Amino acid sequence: MSRTARLVLFFAALLVAVPLGILGLIGLPSFGHHVSTYGDVVDAMGTDLRHVTNMVALVTFDVRGFDTLGEEFILFSAVTGVTMLLRGDRGEGTSADPVRIPHRRREGRSEAVTGTARWLGPMTLLFGIYVTLHGQLTPGGGFQGGSIIAAATLLIYLGEGYPAWRKIVRSVLLDLSEAAGVGIYLVAGLVPLLAGATYLENILPLGEVGSLLSGGLIPILNAGVALAVAGGFCSIAIEFLEETREPNEDET
Amino acid sequence: MSVLPYLIAGWLFVIGLYGVVSSRNYMHLIGCLTVIQSSTYVLLLAIGYHEGRPAPIFSDHPSGPAVDPVVQALVLTDVVVGAAVSALLLTLVLQLKKRRGTLDPDELSPERD
Repeated sequence: MSRTARLVLFFAALLVAVPLGILGLIGLPSFGHHVSTYGDVVDAMGTDLRHVTNMVALVTFDVRGFDTLGEEFILFSAVTGVTMLLRGDRGEGTSADPVRIPHRRREGRSEAVTGTARWLGPMTLLFGIYVTLHGQLTPGGGFQGGSIIAAATLLIYLGEGYPAWRKIVRSVLLDLSEAAGVGIYLVAGLVPLLAGATYLENILPLGEVGSLLSGGLIPILNAGVALAVAGGFCSIAIEFLEETREPNEDET
Repeated sequence: MSVLPYLIAGWLFVIGLYGVVSSRNYMHLIGCLTVIQSSTYVLLLAIGYHEGRPAPIFSDHPSGPAVDPVVQALVLTDVVVGAAVSALLLTLVLQLKKRRGTLDPDELSPERD
């Protein structure tokens, strides 16, 4: 189908879809007056039931904890897919010396970049851990914290260059972190079964409202997700950067 | 303007879809796909918003009625998973470029093989 034909079809479809969409919008509750009983019940009972103050974390890791397990698997399979598709051509090997494509020059870095990254990297890492640990109390949690931790390791790459980055951030550690993260989530869900409860039921002691260890199962799941997200995003970055080198002679 | 957030969500969806339809490069197409995806974020957050109520995080104010936390949790996981899926799609683009030497959807149509 040519581009013009596609565009004509698109605008013809819009003629039907836009009125239908507006009709659908009219049926929605007007902005600022939501009608979700589910959310209201969570807001009203969440703190008393689970001793946490972040209701978003409560929904993600307790009320709808099983859905988040599904999200974890989507993330896991996406990272696995990236790795397999990229390695299919390149082989399994990874090297600390990436730039072997002849026409590509290796650029130096200015000292300002290195200096800034050396300050920002550890700070960002600390902030990522903070966001993860306080997931049940303040805005944050495993997904956000894990992304920030992955960003912190990328700052090391920015400041120190690829070989040093690969020495500090070992890909074995990343694989372990990602697998352990998903594993923690799975197994933490199985443990309540031994006590006669249902899968992922929050039967651990709930702790005091506002303390770092409140929420029973929620901080454990948060930590698992943070490990999985940080490991997964770093692995993706490494696999893409490995694309800049050509395969070794002995790899196919 | 009580319909403005919904209109923005609709506009993001349509403009993203237009980008997908008229795309001349698969990289550009993936960018358009993330625009479509962000329309769902706007829509979900707009549905959950309640005028005058605080955020559903009670660490600095007493618990009580707040905006809907369920849709916010949905958006949260959506963002992270969306990033991972974009990476997967970019991988496919990379392999396509290596094997076929082009990223133009029209040049890659089956009848030109």
